[in-house]
Amino acid sequence: MSEQPLPNSTKQNEDPLRPHSFDGIQEYDKRLPNWWLWTLYLAIIYAFAYWFWFHWPSVGGIVDQGVEAEQELNRIQMAALANGGGEVSDDQLWSMSQESVTVAAGKTTFMANCAACHGPELKGGIGVNLVDSTWIHGGKPTQVVQTITNGVLEKGMPQWGKVLGKKRILEVAAFVLSHHTKDEIK
Amino acid sequence: MNNDKRTIVFDDDIVRKFLIVTIVWGIVGMLAGVLIASQLAFWKMNFNIPWTSFGRLRPLHTNAAIFAFVGNMMFAGIYYSTQRLCKTRLASDFLSRVHFWGWQLIIVFAAISLPLGLTRGKEYAELIWPINIMVAVIWVIFGINFFWTLAIRREKTLYVALWFYIATILVIGMLYIVNHLQIPTSLLHGYPIFGGVQDALVQWWYGHNAVAFFLTTPILGIMYYFMPKAAERPVYSYRLSIVHFWSLVFIYIWAGPHHLLNTALPPWLQSLGMVFSLMLWAPSWGGMLNGLLTLRGAWDKLRTDPVIKFFVAGITFYGMATFEGPLLAIKSVNALSHYTDWTIGHVHSGTLGWNGFMAAGMIYWLVPRLWNTKLYSIKLADFHFWLGMIGILFYVASMWVSGITQGLMLNAVSTDGVLKNPNFLDTLNSIRPMMHLRLLGGVLYLLGFILLAYNILRTVRTGKAVNGTIEVLEEEGHADEVALGFWNIFLNPPVMYSLLIIIFTMMFGVGPDTLKMFALVMLIFTLITGYLHMELSGSSWGEWYDRLLNHAMPFTILTFLAAAIGGSIQIIPTLVMHNKNHIEGYRQIPYTPLELAGRDIYIREGCYNCHSQMIRPFVSELMRYGAYSRIGESIYDHPFQWGSKRTGPDLHRVGSKYPNSWHYKHMEDPRSVSVGSNMPNYGWLITDQTDLRSLETKLKVMIQLGVPYPKRTMDEIKSEALAQGQLISDSLKKEGIIVEPDREIVAVISYLQQLGKSEKVDQPIKE
Repeated sequence: MSEQPLPNSTKQNEDPLRPHSFDGIQEYDKRLPNWWLWTLYLAIIYAFAYWFWFHWPSVGGIVDQGVEAEQELNRIQMAALANGGGEVSDDQLWSMSQESVTVAAGKTTFMANCAACHGPELKGGIGVNLVDSTWIHGGKPTQVVQTITNGVLEKGMPQWGKVLGKKRILEVAAFVLSHHTKDEIK
Repeated sequence: MNNDKRTIVFDDDIVRKFLIVTIVWGIVGMLAGVLIASQLAFWKMNFNIPWTSFGRLRPLHTNAAIFAFVGNMMFAGIYYSTQRLCKTRLASDFLSRVHFWGWQLIIVFAAISLPLGLTRGKEYAELIWPINIMVAVIWVIFGINFFWTLAIRREKTLYVALWFYIATILVIGMLYIVNHLQIPTSLLHGYPIFGGVQDALVQWWYGHNAVAFFLTTPILGIMYYFMPKAAERPVYSYRLSIVHFWSLVFIYIWAGPHHLLNTALPPWLQSLGMVFSLMLWAPSWGGMLNGLLTLRGAWDKLRTDPVIKFFVAGITFYGMATFEGPLLAIKSVNALSHYTDWTIGHVHSGTLGWNGFMAAGMIYWLVPRLWNTKLYSIKLADFHFWLGMIGILFYVASMWVSGITQGLMLNAVSTDGVLKNPNFLDTLNSIRPMMHLRLLGGVLYLLGFILLAYNILRTVRTGKAVNGTIEVLEEEGHADEVALGFWNIFLNPPVMYSLLIIIFTMMFGVGPDTLKMFALVMLIFTLITGYLHMELSGSSWGEWYDRLLNHAMPFTILTFLAAAIGGSIQIIPTLVMHNKNHIEGYRQIPYTPLELAGRDIYIREGCYNCHSQMIRPFVSELMRYGAYSRIGESIYDHPFQWGSKRTGPDLHRVGSKYPNSWHYKHMEDPRSVSVGSNMPNYGWLITDQTDLRSLETKLKVMIQLGVPYPKRTMDEIKSEALAQGQLISDSLKKEGIIVEPDREIVAVISYLQQLGKSEKVDQPIKE
């Protein structure tokens, strides 16, 4: 560092002061820094753009985070089942029965294939009532899956295993279970 | 002309009073902080007694730091500077003293009631209703004293520091009253009138803006007075003061929902919270710039003057925290940071760095002047500075590491579709070293502050209390000589353009599609017209503002309007739309009497300080905790218990997850079932009897609040509660645990086992 003294003329004393003083405090009136102004402007523009994108129905940026997360979860679980041995526990099935995407998929399959006998409200008809508390072939989630997959031929319940495939059967089971709670089936 | 001079003596005695208690309560608050930090690291520091457990002491720490430490510091700074900026003694010595002693009484009551478990269960708003009333009354007295002083001022023009004080007094009054609306059930307990999502929104409107208008605006005002005084330099820019004051006051209020990102809060509120937080960045930095650049031409003082050191570091931490804030308010960043230590680190860079250092700078500057002496030791003050600085860096850095580590671990899902860290405790134990570092940081900071106390004590001993004086001309009368008039206050270009911009923005925001386009066009048109108008009208807009500064009442009204708009636009629709009928398909099942009693115990013990009840719609959270929390699932919760920090796991779907015996063992000794947990033991729940007598009134109040309970007599309530307790007691007996059905632990178990159970209701799901 050189020891050269700074020229005095470069001092900021040339900035005009505001005429008033408060208890000895004076004020300059410097221009707002451009980078500061642009930080503010860009944030405001971003705010409008964000709102435009996410809250203007016809733009379509609106997402239902919950549905998205459930779809993603459903995809991951089904992929895992397809890759692994496909074994699924009672607890897993109970939690699947809480996922609206899985349950909705199960409902579609149910209405197309099962409602003819079990009724659109699951109250039974040719087939048994699925919303009461009687479980002829076992009410544990894995037992329900078993019943759908292998059927109960002597009672008229067909085998669905090959027809629907594992994924749809689990979804149907989740749909049926969504009408029940864990506590009620022991 | 009468040129007789008169000497005015300032009331500096009240400043000395507030200054001394600032130091005392500062040490108490920091000590509490160090204690609870040690409890997180070493669970035995909870001492197995109710009054010293984390859940009760954490509110004591936050309340002491905010309301006792910063509160008293703010009052000292405001009273000292306002008298001088107004060239008059404070309006009423009596009111000043009522303010002082009333506030200290409130603090003492808080220090007694919080360890006793008397709480409202809302963060930074824990104090029970009789104390709430005291706070409101004392705040109004402070307001009267302040505005009365403004009314009798001899200095016509309001200096920028006073603008910030005005905003503080008005907005804190508004926030405090609305967030503390409640119906008492006894002398020591009440339920907030808002529930579920409404309570969440109101709480964080309050919580966020307590940071804004209790920890920020008054300190900015203090900065605008003490920084130029200490630096002996003019303030950098008057027009920057104007722009950043009004943008700060207007924008801050909207940002509250960023505490509720990715929760069941309606998406439009989440978006508002996020974008307003981003827009807040520049206004905040405006304050930082004006503070730091005031030092232009006096930077050499930074080497020698401890006051300037503290101020510069404090303002720099303000800049850092107000950059970090918008960052954390971005929804995707928040997905990682929320519920973790990152937030805790963020708030401490504000409180330790900004508030604590500004307080220290102000104290070191004021005390020699108030006692007419020199500071006992500049070296000691320097040493305090470096201890504090290293303390903050330890604290904040460890919280960054801790928060990001735990956030990443909790959210990680492996490719084969399972959680990478299924056990919550693994994530807790991986941040243990950070807990120790944070404790070290806190201890260093406390030590530094104790040095300040010692330094000040020695300084005061060498001096003698003196009151400042000023000579004024006899004829210097009071300021508001001519009323400004309605036209001049409201119907003038700057205000009208601002109003139009707000109206068109609102239309753009919430209007139907066709109106949106129109609003956007009108908005751009207004902006261009306004800009051209401003350019063409030369200095007349500036003159209008200068004139406004001569009139305290119109200025106050405009400030209040600027601050009230945001809150109204968020809260009123939420109160109207998101009532108990708006449930989006899932409706909470009202608590049974025993469960309600259990819930009140849960709140009393401060469980919400470490456990959230809000599962966010992320794959990792669905896997870890179960179905995400819906808006209708907490409608009967007065207060809401969504939480803000997960030192332990979320509890919203904990119901039926574990057997009763697990909960019993877990509360008796958490480590017996969760190895490595840092939760306190809750042995007293096993021995203490549940308060069933108060349930009659509590249920009555719940009915008043709109919870659909049947009318029941006291006997019915009691027998129902005991019958439910008996079931739990019986189930525990099978596992070899003998406990009477009327013990508190039974009530808490009944509450926990019910959590997350709601009924599905067929109702069209809409946004």
